[in-house]
Amino acid sequence: MASEAVTASEAPPRRRRLTRLPLWAGLAALTALVGLGLGSLGALLLQAPGISPSSLWQEPYLAGVLRFSLWQASLSTLASLGLAIPVAVALARRPRFVGRRLLLRVMELSLVIPSLIALFGLVAVHGRQGWAAPLWEALTGTPAGYLYGLSGIVLAHVFYNLPLAARLLLQELERAPAAHWRLAAQLGLGPRAIWRTLEWPAIRRLLPRLAALIFTLCFTSFAIVMTLGGGPSSTTLEVALYQALKFDNDLALAALLALTQLTICLGLWALALSQGGAPSLVAGDGPAPLHGRWQRRDALGASRLTDGLWLVALALLLLPPLAAVVVAGLGGVADLAGQASLWPALMRSLVMAAGAGSLALALGLSLLAGRGWLAARGRRLAAGLMEGSGQLILVLPALVLGTGLFLLLRPRLGGGWQGYGLVVLVNGFMALPFVMQVLRGALLGLPLAQRRLADQLDIQGMARFRWLLWPRLRRPAALALAYAMTLSLGDFSVIALFGSPSAPTLPMLLYQQLGSYRWQTAAATALVLLATVGALFMLLGWLTRRLPRYPLRDPLHDPLRPQPHATDRPEP
Amino acid sequence: MNAKATRAALGVTAGLMAGLAAASAVADEPRTLTVYTYDSFVAEWGPGPGIKEAFEARCGDCRLEFVALSGGVDLLQRLRLEGEGSAADLVLGLDMNLMAEARDLDLLAPHQADLSRLELPIAWDDPVFLPYDWGRFAFVYDSEALPEPPKSFAELLEAPEDLKVIIQDPRTSVTGLGLLLWMKRVYGDEAPAAWEKLNDHVLTVTGGWSQAYFSLFMNGEAPMVLSYSTSPAYHMAVEGTDRYQAAEFAEGHYLQVETAAMLKGSEHPALAREFLDFVLTPDFQRHIPLGNVMYPAIDLGEERPAVFDRLIEPESFTFTPDEVQEHRREWIREWLNASTR
Repeated sequence: MASEAVTASEAPPRRRRLTRLPLWAGLAALTALVGLGLGSLGALLLQAPGISPSSLWQEPYLAGVLRFSLWQASLSTLASLGLAIPVAVALARRPRFVGRRLLLRVMELSLVIPSLIALFGLVAVHGRQGWAAPLWEALTGTPAGYLYGLSGIVLAHVFYNLPLAARLLLQELERAPAAHWRLAAQLGLGPRAIWRTLEWPAIRRLLPRLAALIFTLCFTSFAIVMTLGGGPSSTTLEVALYQALKFDNDLALAALLALTQLTICLGLWALALSQGGAPSLVAGDGPAPLHGRWQRRDALGASRLTDGLWLVALALLLLPPLAAVVVAGLGGVADLAGQASLWPALMRSLVMAAGAGSLALALGLSLLAGRGWLAARGRRLAAGLMEGSGQLILVLPALVLGTGLFLLLRPRLGGGWQGYGLVVLVNGFMALPFVMQVLRGALLGLPLAQRRLADQLDIQGMARFRWLLWPRLRRPAALALAYAMTLSLGDFSVIALFGSPSAPTLPMLLYQQLGSYRWQTAAATALVLLATVGALFMLLGWLTRRLPRYPLRDPLHDPLRPQPHATDRPEP
Repeated sequence: MNAKATRAALGVTAGLMAGLAAASAVADEPRTLTVYTYDSFVAEWGPGPGIKEAFEARCGDCRLEFVALSGGVDLLQRLRLEGEGSAADLVLGLDMNLMAEARDLDLLAPHQADLSRLELPIAWDDPVFLPYDWGRFAFVYDSEALPEPPKSFAELLEAPEDLKVIIQDPRTSVTGLGLLLWMKRVYGDEAPAAWEKLNDHVLTVTGGWSQAYFSLFMNGEAPMVLSYSTSPAYHMAVEGTDRYQAAEFAEGHYLQVETAAMLKGSEHPALAREFLDFVLTPDFQRHIPLGNVMYPAIDLGEERPAVFDRLIEPESFTFTPDEVQEHRREWIREWLNASTR
């Protein structure tokens, strides 16, 4: 592909045809995605003897499941977003404090912690015998039972989603033009005025998409809801789907439940996207914060105290459960040395994650390229559809995807490497929504003037990529890869579906150890998994930290000025 | 515009595929017996590696290849999806409660093994499914947190409400289904009322055994967890602690028998039968007690670890596989109704 593109710029007569390359790439990715997603669902539907949608509301059990799924997801979304707003505002107002970078890093990681590990940490801290239990008892006079039931589900979902939401809101806040902050400083605006004129407008733009994302993640939550829910009254659609598909082999019901989930979540996304404004949903692709140099009047006085409280609360929510995992893991580290299967499992996981990550990156770039091509020609609806298809996988349960694939590939799915190949494929697709969110800002945020200049100078093909896109893309691409790889690294559901020829991945090894009562070793394996995820983010960030040969110079961004924090920007 | 990244990604993917293909080409020798089983069976310290070694030494030029799925239900589902084209020669790990449904798939062949060596608490004459280990469902308790465990189901149901237990969901877990059948066997038509009483003691219902035992019980969240009567054997033999024991219930305990079976479509039927004959020999069975933490299916004599003599020995019972298949949905519904009130 690349060599063709280069030839294109040297041979003008062929170029007209080749400039359609982005469109073809986009269409290919779209076909693969829709084919896989709808194909697997379709395969399920075809096998199903007959579907009765009315059972959804006529059957009390299913109606109850649907009601509870909606209720807990709404509640979790409200709590996560409602708390994320003050946290983000506090973080934006305090560009400098000890540990800020660490806190931001942990906030980015929170999304990809495997649920079994998160559960262990949450129970160790918030359980009846947890670290926080004596404190709770001293404060309220009742034993700490808040981890079980709806409050536990919401707590766990807030643990997962508040950091994500706050991180993205912070990024949006920091993106406000410097001139606004200068003006705010010159006028000496107080907290309320800043909120009305600067903060709320920025936050409001992001809220619909953010709410849709968090709602989707909570709506499809499985292990968390089951373990902390307390009992069968806390049943989500995913549990009913699992039962229908695995225990009862009721394909019709499974397909119906998957369709219901698809309809609800896609409806929500359509609603969110129609609210206009399309800020990026994953942190890391924005310019560095600029307002640090302008004195904010609201940074003084009472807000010092309240901001401090919010930040301490955030740290208390995030860090202790992770610390519990680390503490438990350290106890088993000594056993790791004698364990032959750990390092091969880690390597296997990393190779598969690299495959899935590259696939997700390639698909994401293709879709966005196709979207850009269509948008540049005024085909807004087609462009929107192409971009939106990247979210499709988010709302399709992995179980349905896997089972559908099986049905499509029958009669035989060979053993051995085909199983691994399928896992890589499905993991790659599942990471796509996150990859797209990271990349879209970089690709779509390209200033019109630069694009026009490139057009006028006839910079096409490889050169265009090299000089126009790559400098903007390298850091987001690395972050996207990190997200995709870690999602795949921590995945258990897909690999469990396809099985493995006695050579486990890291999460599988973890479950093997649990199944063999090796708690200490399992805790150490969890620690290795967590450390790998952290190291991956650091490594990919470090690899792309080098300044591009021709840095983008925006007159407003002075690269020589000391940055309050420069995580998102090539260092000078 | 994204050609470079795309090419790089394709290159990585292609390389990965090639690497995996090369790895499997080596494994694809003639006379490879493919066995579908569950993940803890093939673990480094599970029974799998020892059994593989023993069988390969016995059959000469053959290889034993395990494919690990996450549990019995997944095994059944996998067989169902693959149908007659399944790559498996044998399936190891379907328990009694999944037998009837597996039989209905019409994919399995008679084992023709000699059952006279079997040592099970119940009579066994099934022509298709060959038991390789067994155990009883039981509540495992932490003797430091609960020095006086209940001695019967009735005592548990009547205990003060602050005695909490962790159980698993019968819709997603084999042990959860075990408890459901256990309660039904003990209480019959009174089961819904018994469930309502038990629910007062249920701290939470997890989706699987791992979350219940590891995330909750080992974190000290409740003094009792639904598990197996053999679980303490591991704690005593390997961890050297008597802290975790199984509570013996006077009403009796529900039995779980795990079975092996061969597929009709097996490419090496003779070798598969050879494996099934091997299942009931000490070479296979000696890996079960501490590898799978279950009772061996034959009398191992001196070779059975001494800690097994210290386990509870209650009465045990089951429903027949057909009864389970016939009533499972109805009984789960009954449990749901009793538990969501």
